[in-house]
Amino acid sequence: MEFHTTLKKTYDSMKIKIFLFLLIAITVSAYAFNLFSSQNGAEPWTQQQLLDPSALAKTIGNPGIAQPIVYSVGPQAVIKGSIEIGPTVVPENLSKLQQKLEKLPRNSEIVIYCGCCPFDRCPNIRPAVELLKKLQFSNFKLLNLPHNIKVDWIDYGYPMSE
Amino acid sequence: MFGKKSVPLSFLIFLCLGMSELSAQTQGLEIGNIAPEIELTSPNGNTITLSSLKGRVVLIDFWATWCAPCVQEQSELAGLYKKFNKSGNPKGQIFEIYGVSLDSKKANWESGIANMKISWIQVSDLKFWRSPVAKTYQIQELPYNILLDAKGIIRAKNLHGADLVQGIANLLYQK
Repeated sequence: MEFHTTLKKTYDSMKIKIFLFLLIAITVSAYAFNLFSSQNGAEPWTQQQLLDPSALAKTIGNPGIAQPIVYSVGPQAVIKGSIEIGPTVVPENLSKLQQKLEKLPRNSEIVIYCGCCPFDRCPNIRPAVELLKKLQFSNFKLLNLPHNIKVDWIDYGYPMSE
Repeated sequence: MFGKKSVPLSFLIFLCLGMSELSAQTQGLEIGNIAPEIELTSPNGNTITLSSLKGRVVLIDFWATWCAPCVQEQSELAGLYKKFNKSGNPKGQIFEIYGVSLDSKKANWESGIANMKISWIQVSDLKFWRSPVAKTYQIQELPYNILLDAKGIIRAKNLHGADLVQGIANLLYQK
């Protein structure tokens, strides 16, 4: 009888512990989710879809690495080998990009960049990323140029078009 | 005795003055430096150098039609230009804006100038962020501007809004 009471007590305290654990776990994950979505939810790209300029610079012209298709969706195709679309804030340029993309397999490795302005002020990258998502491209990256093409590419001496 | 001493002393003072004058004439990007020369062409193909504007208070405005905050600022500059460019200045120092565009397409640049009715000097090499001027002036972002006195000496950097109005007025109306 005494044994049974002790067992019941242990069982009850375990229930409380499990309950508390679940409560904390739910609170923490809800908080984390909230933080995550407030940081990234506003942008159409994920952190994993940002490509570091140094990585692209190493890839360009390297015969050992598969070359991505690089589109400039800003004022000028500064990066070596990139294809000039023009600012995709202009609807005609966005359709031009769409026409090119529609001919490609959806798993093509694609990189887009603008570099006019800091990300928060750039009018071109968002329409281009939205288009890539709409067309269900699975392997695209946005070149991470947080300042502009001068500060984050040209000043590093990375490969430029003629 | 006094005369003998005063000669080297006055020479020393003269030398010091000469040296301070010399340091003011150093070309550079710091306040007090002579602004590096810019030699670019206007939309109609005329070369206009920055140094040709000596004698006027000059605002070098770095901008582009693809830069939204720059475009927004052009209407403010129009107001400034109207206010300071011509009359109402007792010292007779004229104010000028030297607009350097980092545009890449001539058509965009020209239509921007036309749409915004920009009446001050406009020059560009149409080389976007690759422009050698962006390198010389170490421009990190747009809009960016530099205010020069009538001698071509840098007196302020990157002033906007009310600070810019005050900065220009100070230079035009100082003693």
